[in-house]
Amino acid sequence: MRYYIGAEARLRRTVEDVAMSVFQAWNYEEVITPSVDYYDLFEQGMGQREAQRGFRFTDNDGRLLALRPDVTSSVARMAATLLSERPRPLRFCYAAPVFRQQPQSHAEWRRENTQLGCELIGAGGKPADLEVLRLAAEILSRLNLQSRYCITINNVEIFNGVAAHLNLEEPVREQLRRLIDTRETAELQRFLKNYDNPDARAFSQSAQLTGKRNVLQAARNAITNTRSLAALDSLEELWTEIESLGFENSFEIDLGDVSSLDYYTGLSLKIFVHGAGVSVGRGGRYDGLTGSFGRAEPAVGFVLNLDALTEVLGRISKQER
Amino acid sequence: MITVAIGKGRMQESALALLARAGIRLSDGVNSRRLALMDETRQYRFIFVKPLDVPVYVEHGIADCGIVGRDVLLESEADLLLPLDLGISRVRIVVAAPDPQAMTNVQGMIRVATKYAQIARAYFGARGIPVEIIQLSGSVELAPALGLADMIVDLVETGVTLRENGLTVVEEIAESTGRLVVNRASYQLKSDEVSRLVKVLEDVV
Repeated sequence: MRYYIGAEARLRRTVEDVAMSVFQAWNYEEVITPSVDYYDLFEQGMGQREAQRGFRFTDNDGRLLALRPDVTSSVARMAATLLSERPRPLRFCYAAPVFRQQPQSHAEWRRENTQLGCELIGAGGKPADLEVLRLAAEILSRLNLQSRYCITINNVEIFNGVAAHLNLEEPVREQLRRLIDTRETAELQRFLKNYDNPDARAFSQSAQLTGKRNVLQAARNAITNTRSLAALDSLEELWTEIESLGFENSFEIDLGDVSSLDYYTGLSLKIFVHGAGVSVGRGGRYDGLTGSFGRAEPAVGFVLNLDALTEVLGRISKQER
Repeated sequence: MITVAIGKGRMQESALALLARAGIRLSDGVNSRRLALMDETRQYRFIFVKPLDVPVYVEHGIADCGIVGRDVLLESEADLLLPLDLGISRVRIVVAAPDPQAMTNVQGMIRVATKYAQIARAYFGARGIPVEIIQLSGSVELAPALGLADMIVDLVETGVTLRENGLTVVEEIAESTGRLVVNRASYQLKSDEVSRLVKVLEDVV
């Protein structure tokens, strides 16, 4: 539970205004979604594991409600139902608090966080992915974080292709995912020894998972399955665009970012800022989401954590004074 | 410069020995009582904190890296990267009891005394055995003899302490060694420094 008073509140408001003005300059329309909605919505949108972290309570008629743990679920449903007739693509942005139960010791322990987010719905492929990456980069540089931020990108289909190729059952796939996610190199190598398969080698060295273009080459040398190769191709195309925009110093490829596989379907991204101990934003492509509300179409977006950004900007301005 | 948190006590000596073998020496001597020290090249700052606090410092990014036992990590459930098993301070996490057949012989609810409530709860929970966890902060081996608990979950290095208190190992839960842990943001933002540390330690493990 966090109070913002005076200068801090003004800083927070400024950060919000900067983000919203960039969104609006890119033709993203603001949406305001309900803070309280039926729990089912979030379970459909986020998957059970994430939605369960929401605060839940019952309505008079016994139906389960939740304080929104995310905004994306509501926007996706809105696009698939209320706005199903509207011409595509749809561009939406929001600044809204979300509520999640957190273990006390956790670094991001706050139950309430304000998300500055955007969703680009009904547009697939590289141009849409690039658009949201450029948006994120523009907001961060407008916040004077130009040389301080790092956006990591990955394509979750690289991992999915390898897991499918190895024919992994769900618990084993989850074990592999966890070992990659936490970079347990030695255990990972031991695990992959059970699978005499060249594709598995792509993940066997944690040092090869993050970096610039060289990472793609290292992965390409190991991977043979077509699904992963297609994902590598699209990641490489995206990287080429990032290079041609001159952004490659602020971006990094991280094949080990496999933290939310059941949600994202292609690009996934995480945003880090020097001085913040946890990531300040994340996002990706979630082509599967609107389908669960009755109208399947490609979608991509990201959120920035307003409270984390305010904190790190406050600390930076104190240091510089 | 990156900051490395090291758990005081059992882990500290073997961690510093390992760092010395990797060519990282503390400027102020190992015996200093200062809790924050630089290495001779001033590339690393070491802070010495309670083992249970290492994951806290690293998860918040106050320390970029940490050296801490797997037992502590299992207990804290912190969200950290674990790039390297250092193989130091090898211990077992076990269930021990006065009666070798305690698992089947105890009538009714099993009472388990431990410093590791989280590990104990997860272990018995996964096996569907209902237990009452009694959280203690030390001298756990005494609990069964005094009638506080039927069994204990604790670390075993040599087994001498268990034997002297009339306990035998009933089951082994996991093995624990010292690990290098890394903050997720530091791993991206200070990737050169972090991978240099991983590399030099990897060579001497």
